[in-house]
Amino acid sequence: MRKSFLGPAIALATALAFLAVARAQTDHSGAAKTNARNAAFDPRDFTGIWNPAPFMQPKGEVNPLDLGGHPNPLPPFTPAGEATYLANAKFIAAGAVLDCDPFGVSRNFFTPRPFEILLTRDRLVQHFEYYDNWREIWTDGRKFPAEVDPEYMGYSIGHWDGDTFVVDSALYNGKAFLTWQGFPISESMHQTERWRRVDPETLKILFTFNDPVNYAKPWSVTFFWKLRKDWVMDAHPCTLSAIKEYDERVNHADKLPGRDYGNPDKK
Amino acid sequence: MKNKLINGIGLVVGLLVVCVPMFAHHGGSDYDVQHPISLKGTVTEFFWSNPHCQVFLDVKDDSNKVVNWTIETLAPAVLRRAGWSRETLHSGDHITITFVPSKKGTPVGMLRKVLLPSGEELSGGALGEQPPQ
Repeated sequence: MRKSFLGPAIALATALAFLAVARAQTDHSGAAKTNARNAAFDPRDFTGIWNPAPFMQPKGEVNPLDLGGHPNPLPPFTPAGEATYLANAKFIAAGAVLDCDPFGVSRNFFTPRPFEILLTRDRLVQHFEYYDNWREIWTDGRKFPAEVDPEYMGYSIGHWDGDTFVVDSALYNGKAFLTWQGFPISESMHQTERWRRVDPETLKILFTFNDPVNYAKPWSVTFFWKLRKDWVMDAHPCTLSAIKEYDERVNHADKLPGRDYGNPDKK
Repeated sequence: MKNKLINGIGLVVGLLVVCVPMFAHHGGSDYDVQHPISLKGTVTEFFWSNPHCQVFLDVKDDSNKVVNWTIETLAPAVLRRAGWSRETLHSGDHITITFVPSKKGTPVGMLRKVLLPSGEELSGGALGEQPPQ
């Protein structure tokens, strides 16, 4: 009697186990992806390579990556800011945008190429692949220094607000574009960023630009990046010889004037 | 003239859905991104360099005249992630190349994809993450 009960029970258990294994092996899509999204992650760990995801930007915001020449809507320019923007746009349309000056922080963010985050004891360091630009964000509690010259990449300090990393940057030299479209930036720019990992694979940053010389009021952009665990950074330094050669081979072939190499200070 | 050339030797491939924003060191709107075209030709040079690589190829027009086209690509880093290397193309290779042409009517364009002599097709790479299909 006992033997006759045990046999079917073992068979049933074996069948259930087999079904469970088979299901686990075939369910690659739905459950596996859900698990990946929900996997535990440290919301304060930004290390890794992040690739921009422009399609995730909310509709209705200024599109900092619209390179078709018609960014819409436009930021709230002051009259001086609009005039500078129009002059910059004309310069860009001539194919004269090539130079090796550092891009400044925001134009680096809104270049459709990855950046890598490295952490040190007192800084978060961003390495932007395009043109090999570097940015330091000081995390040791310091304030903006009184005796620092304005620079292309400005000066950045960061602190935590819960699991949101808040970055303040200023001390820009006003010589860079804010974006590839030629939105201007002045020495008055104070930029804030609120960084948050919204899931293990996604970084969201809310930018607010406060530059009273060029913009009538502060304005914001929300942008997203995806973590690329399988990527390594590639080399993309800027060399004047390479961009001059590009000008000759491509821009001039297309009857574009390109850059005026006789006047290196021309922007 | 350019239209004759394209009609004679190329294939109009119609509206390809291209999710890559215009990103060249040209003036941003100098390529006709809505009207990609395909041409068959012979590679005369593959220049692997920042800021953008270039493919030069000879294409015969309908009057048998050879035109040397300049097709720029995205940067080497972007091409590498799309499966390219500096050895992907060589002078003498017969390829079919798809690109968006200059609006000026010059024999200049921006690469979208290429069909290699081996039959392998490579895209011109993607800038940033693409929306889920």
